[in-house]
Amino acid sequence: MIYEFIHNGETKTVELKDGNKAVFADSQNTIDINYTPDGRIFIQNAGASKEIFAVTSGNKTFVDIDGTLFEFTIPSEENGIGGAGGELTDPSKVFAPMPGKVVKVMVKVGDEVEKKDQLIIVEAMKMEHICIARAKAKVSAVNFSIGDQVDTDTPLIELELVE
Amino acid sequence: MPKLFNKILVANRGEIAVRVLRACQTLNIKTVSVYSTADKYAVHTLMGDEACEIGPPPPLESYLNVDKIIEAAKLSGADAIHPGYGFLAENCNFAQACLDNGFVFIGPPPDAILLMGNKIESRKKMAGAGVPLIPGMKSAGNSLDEFKKVADESGYPVLIKAAAGGGGKGMRVVNDPVDLETAIDGAKREAKSAFDDDTVYLEKYIVDPRHIEFQVFADSHGNAIHVFERECSIQRRHQKIIEETPSVAVTPKLRKKMGEAAVAVTKACGYVNAGTVEFLLDKNGKFYFLEMNTRIQVEHPVTEEVVGVDLVAEQIKVASGFPLSDKFKNLSQRGHAIECRIYAEDAGNNFMPSIGKILLYREPTGPGVRVDSGVRQDSEIGIDYDPIMAKLIVWGEDRDMAIARMIKALREYKILGIKQSIKYLADIVAHEKYKSGETYTDFIDKNFADWSDDGADNIELALAAAAVINANGGQKVAFGSNRQSRKDYNPWLSIGPWRLGEKIK
Repeated sequence: MIYEFIHNGETKTVELKDGNKAVFADSQNTIDINYTPDGRIFIQNAGASKEIFAVTSGNKTFVDIDGTLFEFTIPSEENGIGGAGGELTDPSKVFAPMPGKVVKVMVKVGDEVEKKDQLIIVEAMKMEHICIARAKAKVSAVNFSIGDQVDTDTPLIELELVE
Repeated sequence: MPKLFNKILVANRGEIAVRVLRACQTLNIKTVSVYSTADKYAVHTLMGDEACEIGPPPPLESYLNVDKIIEAAKLSGADAIHPGYGFLAENCNFAQACLDNGFVFIGPPPDAILLMGNKIESRKKMAGAGVPLIPGMKSAGNSLDEFKKVADESGYPVLIKAAAGGGGKGMRVVNDPVDLETAIDGAKREAKSAFDDDTVYLEKYIVDPRHIEFQVFADSHGNAIHVFERECSIQRRHQKIIEETPSVAVTPKLRKKMGEAAVAVTKACGYVNAGTVEFLLDKNGKFYFLEMNTRIQVEHPVTEEVVGVDLVAEQIKVASGFPLSDKFKNLSQRGHAIECRIYAEDAGNNFMPSIGKILLYREPTGPGVRVDSGVRQDSEIGIDYDPIMAKLIVWGEDRDMAIARMIKALREYKILGIKQSIKYLADIVAHEKYKSGETYTDFIDKNFADWSDDGADNIELALAAAAVINANGGQKVAFGSNRQSRKDYNPWLSIGPWRLGEKIK
């Protein structure tokens, strides 16, 4: 099973094999990890056992290793459909999935984006919704900035699709 | 023969409210908590035998609202009110309102609060009582001759300060008399452009000061004592973050002298109950009175650990009219104690307050470890109040042992779901300059100005853990919790399907 997390705005990928082996494609590293029946996480490293604390809430995962805190967000295709439509039809307009507040804008006008690239994050109901590009495109408009309240009918980002 | 109160109202929230409620329970006194609507299910709210709602979250409409607190005291039939620290603790109008309405205020008389709250008046009064103050001008200097004269009397180095000052603007340290005039002119220009006021004055510059304070206690029968020192030099923007006792810089001889000065301050202002006298201590063992805090202090537990008394219980006894006991008047210091303040803030990002829900909470345990906390798993940290969540206090037979225990306890202390300062504190306590006792008030600026902790070395491990917890369904913590009416409130209802030591459903 492959997991994708956002950490400090960067996408990180890890593959979990047999439920207890984490494999990292980039570094070729493998980490053996023990998950106890009562839900605790341990690793053995150089003969020392260490407990790691982790908890999830919504699409966020919090991890503590030796006091250092990590906050991961699971990206999800959260693009809204704008207005009262029923289908994600037009990939050139990016809508918020629910009314909320813009917490991060990753692109500016003129940027070229690939399919699945993250464009803008909207926080609603204490959850972060990451809006992604659904096709290769060039950003033609960014209509909001951090802190703005947004509804679901106004496109947040407009794209010019690249064939 | 006095007797203890029947019922005490605690006019505060968070960890100090919990601390006072504990003392009341120890003495078998009934308790009343007060809470704003944001704190309906807070630890302190549910800990009181009764709880009164006193208004909406903003402090001015609840915890700082004198009328509402007095009304809650009347409704609940309390005999006395404990203000904790912060909020109304040093508000003489509140202390007076308590008395006017027939409640005992567990703290000093209103006059003493008023006098010591005025920093200029209190210093004048203390100078009269023979307490040492920082030498220098009491007001703006007018002529160069006057500056020269005061500088010579104070002894170099001296500090030129802007009267309207703050943030280090319009400040100049002068080490040599020949530089005095240039420094005054420079400070004046800087003060003019920063505050549009070029008034400057001069006082002695204290090199490498330590912040040393003495716990004092007085009863209503004329007894006043000190309960030794606390060192609180580890500060960030004048906010203490780590405190300890005894201080490595205080010799028995100096302790005696400073303690006598602290008691003199206490007597000079007609003080009753617990208070703290703050001093600056310079490198040569000279000390100067700064101010008196007319309340129980945040850092009182370190004193409790080394002398073995419950200071809050003593506050209650003194307020009930009991004299200080012989045992309390003859305390001695044993071992060493350190306290770390645990804040909900992002130490790696300019200490921005962090808000949200505590999803996982685990306190450290073991010999010599004490946690005074106002939060638990599932607590919501909001934006309305001071971000202090808890205090971690350790005791050891000597300073090295106390430091070792603090490092271990911080390593065991887990708070997930919000940002907190635990790792930052652990790095400070493990720092060689902290271990060697070189704790001056500039310690943080010198050694921890650029602290950050991105965990780059551990990112793969963290990802592995994140994958595993998600693969196993994670600990599902619902946002917002099942709010019950207080009558049938059950904390287990809002904790979700997760239980300690049980597999997640």
